[in-house]
Amino acid sequence: MNIVNRRLDLYALTWRLPIILWQLVFFVGPVVFMVAMSFFVVRNYRMMEAFEFANWERMLTRGFFWDSYWYTLFVASLSATIAMCVAFPAAWALAFRASESVRRWAIFLLVIPFFTSYLVRTFSWYVILAESGVLNAMLGYIGLGPFRMLNTHFGTIVGYLTLTLPLVVILQTVSMANIDKTLVEAARNLGCKPLATIWRVVLPLSKTGFIVAALFCFILAFGDFVAPFYLGGSQEPTLPILILDTTKSGQQWPRAAVVAIMMMLTLFTIAFTAIALAYRKPKGARA
Amino acid sequence: MSEPLVTFRNVEKRFDDFVAVRDMSLDIHEGEFLAIMGSSGCGKTTTLRMLAGLEAPTSGEIRIGGRLMNDVKPHERDTPLVWQSLALFPFLTARENVEFGLKMRGMAAAERKRRALDWLERMQIEAFAERNVATLSGGQKQRVALARSLVMEPRMLLLDEPLSALDANLVIRMQGVLTRLQRELGITFVYVTHSQSEAFAMADRVVIMSQGDIAQIGSPKDIYRAPANRFVAEFVGRNNILSGTVGETGGNGLHIDTPQGRFVAHMPETVPAQGAEVSFTVSADLVTLSLTEPEAVNKVQATLISEEFIGSVVTLFFEGADRLEFKVQMQERALLELDLEPGSAVWLSWEAENANILEDN
Repeated sequence: MNIVNRRLDLYALTWRLPIILWQLVFFVGPVVFMVAMSFFVVRNYRMMEAFEFANWERMLTRGFFWDSYWYTLFVASLSATIAMCVAFPAAWALAFRASESVRRWAIFLLVIPFFTSYLVRTFSWYVILAESGVLNAMLGYIGLGPFRMLNTHFGTIVGYLTLTLPLVVILQTVSMANIDKTLVEAARNLGCKPLATIWRVVLPLSKTGFIVAALFCFILAFGDFVAPFYLGGSQEPTLPILILDTTKSGQQWPRAAVVAIMMMLTLFTIAFTAIALAYRKPKGARA
Repeated sequence: MSEPLVTFRNVEKRFDDFVAVRDMSLDIHEGEFLAIMGSSGCGKTTTLRMLAGLEAPTSGEIRIGGRLMNDVKPHERDTPLVWQSLALFPFLTARENVEFGLKMRGMAAAERKRRALDWLERMQIEAFAERNVATLSGGQKQRVALARSLVMEPRMLLLDEPLSALDANLVIRMQGVLTRLQRELGITFVYVTHSQSEAFAMADRVVIMSQGDIAQIGSPKDIYRAPANRFVAEFVGRNNILSGTVGETGGNGLHIDTPQGRFVAHMPETVPAQGAEVSFTVSADLVTLSLTEPEAVNKVQATLISEEFIGSVVTLFFEGADRLEFKVQMQERALLELDLEPGSAVWLSWEAENANILEDN
């Protein structure tokens, strides 16, 4: 019995080893190094090993860091909220009104944007959003505009949605398509109006999928550099832009590490809270 | 009799090319326990869903309490349904499930809590009121589902095979709960099932459906003893079906000539013409078995083929002249005294009044 167990363990370990090694070398290692680096110092544009809190003190006591931090948190949350709202009608129709085959095709089509580079998709917005672009030309016909849309907060949000919206629609559709439809009918049968079934029955039942979708959207937007840089014009720098600026100006890699660690801590906290909420047992089922 | 609570007039329901319910006319009376029974796909669940407004009839009229209901939305009706899957909301506690309908009506929190707890107590599950429904047993969930519908105080309760997921003992117990509730509340129950034992044990009237049509409506006893047609005769109970042509119509009943001989059957209300093809049924439990030739009008000689033992009752399968198959039901105890074995030759006989002429052939 013991021998069999040990053999099984060895077998399992052999298969797990590559992924463990990969994680150690390319994830745990760099993170440890980054944490260490945040205590290094830069003198004469050269990074030197040290253990000083100067970088932390400098970054965390300056207004520009916190401005950027709260702004990034705000736009990432806003874009997650907008993506969830914009995606919902489409996902609802796909889950409840469309046939099985239409739903399959729609999900396939929603995957296609990921085939092309995100950067290419971002630059294609220039054609549409520019001062003399497609959208302003169309608005001009009805006597509106032109509006400045590039290099604004609006541009940043458009960029974030380009990245996340297809994914959010897919996640929402899948979580609602798996709902037991008789529960919606049961609610109607007990006097629930059609629209009210959405928040009385549909949302509680697809809670897990929806929280995961919003979380993904937030994480992607929070860490994205392309949208705020190219479409937002880095007017108000987000944390990824701040990292870039910090490394560029005076080789301040240690200070950039401080920003990166703060981002990771934030994401860990939010992701952990969200997952705990998503998988929380309903009332009366907790031990 | 007073105005019926529900009337179906020539109701038809189509799904594309498939006719789920065909030209149905049916009255459901206030306070009755009506069972709609049939095999899957016969249209019984579609009928129930039309009552709840979850399907709209393609043509015809459905009225409840005199009001035309064809286009009334489900949430505007007072027709709570107990679902086959129970359809309890898994994210709510037992009490919150029961309160759901009252909340939709806009009842104040304290009042709906009181009513929900009353019903949970009546169903003897008040101890589980604050438990999530996923943690309850099958029988407890069943009671929550019943309470959730009955707390609405409806005139009519719809039930879609609610006992099909329970084990046999629990089914018997819940049958008792349902019949008692129906009698105490005095409201109409419309109960859809594929189970003959459930329908016959509880219902005042049974509707037998077949491929979208009503095959027969009647009391359980009527349907059991006098099936109207071949479908019902084969679907319900254990019936022997014999076919032949009408001979002379004597005073003591209808004479029918079959390949197995001449038999006398109970005179039906509409007497078929001489020479017409007719079939009649004899319930397996109304056949007398004897070792010597009996003094009876209707008798055949047959050989025992096999037997099927289900508790105290045994079904015996016989073969008679001209490949006639015959089923006889009797008490296990009575069978022991006869000391039969496969191949034994016996006489089977029955009274003329127990031979029931079918409407179709």
